[in-house]
Amino acid sequence: MLAISIIITDQILWEDLKGDLVMLNVKQVSKIYEGKMAYRALTDINLMIEDGEFVGIMGPSGSGKTTLLNIIATIDEPTTGEILINGSNPHSLKKEELAKFRRRELGFVFQEFNLLHTLTVEENIVLPLTLDGKRVKEMKEKAYAIAEKIGIKEIMNKRTFEISGGQAQRAAVARAMIHTPKLLLADEPTGNLDSKSSKDVMEMLESINKIEQTTMMLVTHDPQAASYCNRVVFIRDGKFYSEIHRGDNRQAFFQRIIDTLSLMGGHAHDFSQIRV
Amino acid sequence: MTFRKFAFNNVVRNKRLYAAYFFSSLFTVMVFFTFAIFSFHPSLSGDAMNSSVNQGMLVSAGIIYVFSFFFVLYSMSFFLQSRKKEFGVLMIQGMSMKQIRKMVFLENMLIGLFATLGGIFLGFIFSKGILLLAEYVLIIENSLYFYFPSQAMVLTFVSFVILFFFISLFVSYVLRSKKLIELIKGDKRSKGEPRANLFIAIVTVILLAVGYGVALMVEGLTVLAVMTPVIIVVIIGTYFLFTQVSVYVINKLRKQESIFWFKTNMILFSDLSFRMKDNARTFFLVAIVSTVAFSAIGTLFGFQAFVTSSAKINNPTTFKYAASIAHEYDEKEVELINKTLHDNNIKANEEQTILRYHPIANDRILIANESEFNRFAKLIGEESIDVPDGQMYVVEYEGVSFGQTDELLKETVELSSGVTLKPNDVIYSQALPATDSYYVVSDHDYDILPNTTDEEYFHAWQATDGEERVLEVAKTLNESMAWNKFSSREFQVYDVKRSYGPIMFVGLFIGIVFFVSAGSFLYFRLYMDVDDDKHKFKSIAKMGLSEKEMRKVITRQTAILFFAPIVVALAHGAVALTALSHMFYYNLFTESVSVLSVFFTIQIMYFFIVRFYYTKQIKTVVQ
Repeated sequence: MLAISIIITDQILWEDLKGDLVMLNVKQVSKIYEGKMAYRALTDINLMIEDGEFVGIMGPSGSGKTTLLNIIATIDEPTTGEILINGSNPHSLKKEELAKFRRRELGFVFQEFNLLHTLTVEENIVLPLTLDGKRVKEMKEKAYAIAEKIGIKEIMNKRTFEISGGQAQRAAVARAMIHTPKLLLADEPTGNLDSKSSKDVMEMLESINKIEQTTMMLVTHDPQAASYCNRVVFIRDGKFYSEIHRGDNRQAFFQRIIDTLSLMGGHAHDFSQIRV
Repeated sequence: MTFRKFAFNNVVRNKRLYAAYFFSSLFTVMVFFTFAIFSFHPSLSGDAMNSSVNQGMLVSAGIIYVFSFFFVLYSMSFFLQSRKKEFGVLMIQGMSMKQIRKMVFLENMLIGLFATLGGIFLGFIFSKGILLLAEYVLIIENSLYFYFPSQAMVLTFVSFVILFFFISLFVSYVLRSKKLIELIKGDKRSKGEPRANLFIAIVTVILLAVGYGVALMVEGLTVLAVMTPVIIVVIIGTYFLFTQVSVYVINKLRKQESIFWFKTNMILFSDLSFRMKDNARTFFLVAIVSTVAFSAIGTLFGFQAFVTSSAKINNPTTFKYAASIAHEYDEKEVELINKTLHDNNIKANEEQTILRYHPIANDRILIANESEFNRFAKLIGEESIDVPDGQMYVVEYEGVSFGQTDELLKETVELSSGVTLKPNDVIYSQALPATDSYYVVSDHDYDILPNTTDEEYFHAWQATDGEERVLEVAKTLNESMAWNKFSSREFQVYDVKRSYGPIMFVGLFIGIVFFVSAGSFLYFRLYMDVDDDKHKFKSIAKMGLSEKEMRKVITRQTAILFFAPIVVALAHGAVALTALSHMFYYNLFTESVSVLSVFFTIQIMYFFIVRFYYTKQIKTVVQ
């Protein structure tokens, strides 16, 4: 058990040493849902995200954004094409290795937080490390370091139902960040938050991206949230539509995102649906 | 937080989710343990009861154990299904399947260990009560004193630790090949409605009708012959009743907009059809398991009533003494009976006579006279008869007859005066203690009968006061007299009940286990959907659903869940018991109705309790 984990760690280190600048490489990915009515969710998607980049994915409802994110997140599998994260293809890993890959290389933030309500905020945050069998002392240190940064130190011993949505999402970000993942994936992280909390969470993600140099990919409906990214990729009907880069001015970028959305035919204020 | 601590916290802080699983496990252990306490009881394993009873107990313990295994397994898979989402989230955080299995294994062993210890503890507390109950049901003379059931404890502990161990291993099977995307969306995805097919729906109705029709029409031993096919047909019918007919009906209702769109009906029916696939299987399982419980317990009570009534029929009087004059009759014995009655302050009406047997058609046939017949008829409250001179009646024992009534009707008796008597009618009576049919003639004709072959002394007592002491008196008298001479009604009934007790006890136990498990299945089914319901009512409440309306929807929803399968099971049970009564030619109506209504009452109480807590749960989110 120990030997295996050392070998895997070495392999990852070796991958690191190659100094590949591309963190995520999506090659010709298509996804077809089989069923009574076969449904083509994604068609020949190509996407490259560089190390340290913060990319937003936007598109109208049903455009395939979440499917793409799920495939990258290894939650779902592509029908054709392949995904390389930091040079390796997670879909080719065996189940056990895939679990290790997720817990070491990836971080997730969801619209509905997905915190475990049986655990305290602190316990939720250290969960990826717990699963990896880290020492308690190390986990505590890391948890408090990140809580300090994110500003949730006061609620560490609270249970998930005692905290607000904004706090829950920050706790979820802390959980996604504690193991310093290579790639952080966020699915509508502001979808369930009010505008103030949305702003806090997005600013926090932006600062983590800048300071920790963590590569991030964000799927969102919300142009405000998307405007924090370096680059926004638009997809429509499962196909690449266009992409725009942020200059120095976030406000101008926000306006361009809205323009692109109206051009695409989606509504500029196509707010994220709240799933009840 | 280490992994073990995490698994521990996950259980301890999520009590409600685990509670249902824990309590059904606990209950299972408790049942098994109480049964074990009973079967290992020193006064039962000794000479007091024969070894066949002991064997029966062991077999029953085996049945309970096997059933427990499947029951716990089912509870666990339900429990795991309801946690799909949690597993999905954990896997995204990087938990491997191996770790999930390890976690569920640890949880299961934790729950299993506490359920086993708790079940043994509770069983121990209730054991005195159970033993008293067993004493009462079983009618055991040397009382079942309380003892420290170390053997039962060890057996239960070891059996259930093994059971939980294997069930924990089974987890990998339940969770196999689950894709992460399915897990994480697990809660929201409907399993869909089963497709309803009119043809199958019609076939189902025909199947059930044929099954019921055959079961209700046949009589006697044919019941046994048709039993298996009828059971199979009805089981298949029941399955399709819930998977096809119910869906068909609901879909038809949905199309009736005047009904479906009427007030809260829409919420109710849309949910019903949405959950029908899950519900249908639960309904089927609950209906079948409950039918088994109803039929088993109904049969036992019915059979007991049947044999007890036979004992009563054979003994219309409190005591009777019969002995052949030539070989057995002992005057002292009759004196002893009278003395004992007097000593115990039991007042009784009594009659005595000498019964004369005559050789007729190569047999010895009793011929009685009108006045002695009437004396005994009066003693047991029957109407007296009038036999004119020159006439003769055949008397058949009412209730249980081994009579050759038809043969006797063909025979004649010649009096010494030369007159020949021909029987002209049959009378049904319990007056004289002959289960063979006999003749009764007028007093005048009786005196001129030809000589007898043998004579029998017959004495009957009917207690009028002090009945409560009769059983004790009968027990002492039985010791000093041969069983074929002296018999007592109370003692016969008592004896039947005593020999029947163990079967009754075992049957009751198993029936109750089945019934409670059925209740448990329903509880699991309901709580699988509690989070969905919370979301649903939360959103609807915002649109303006009053608390009263919410209660109404919950009540109906729960009522359908609780009563749809039970009503079907009651119907099945009623038909099964009717078929049984046709087999014995004995009316089981009272027993059937009382057994079924007891179950129904329990179900109603259970419904109210569960509804109360469920509504309370939902109300926590709807304010």
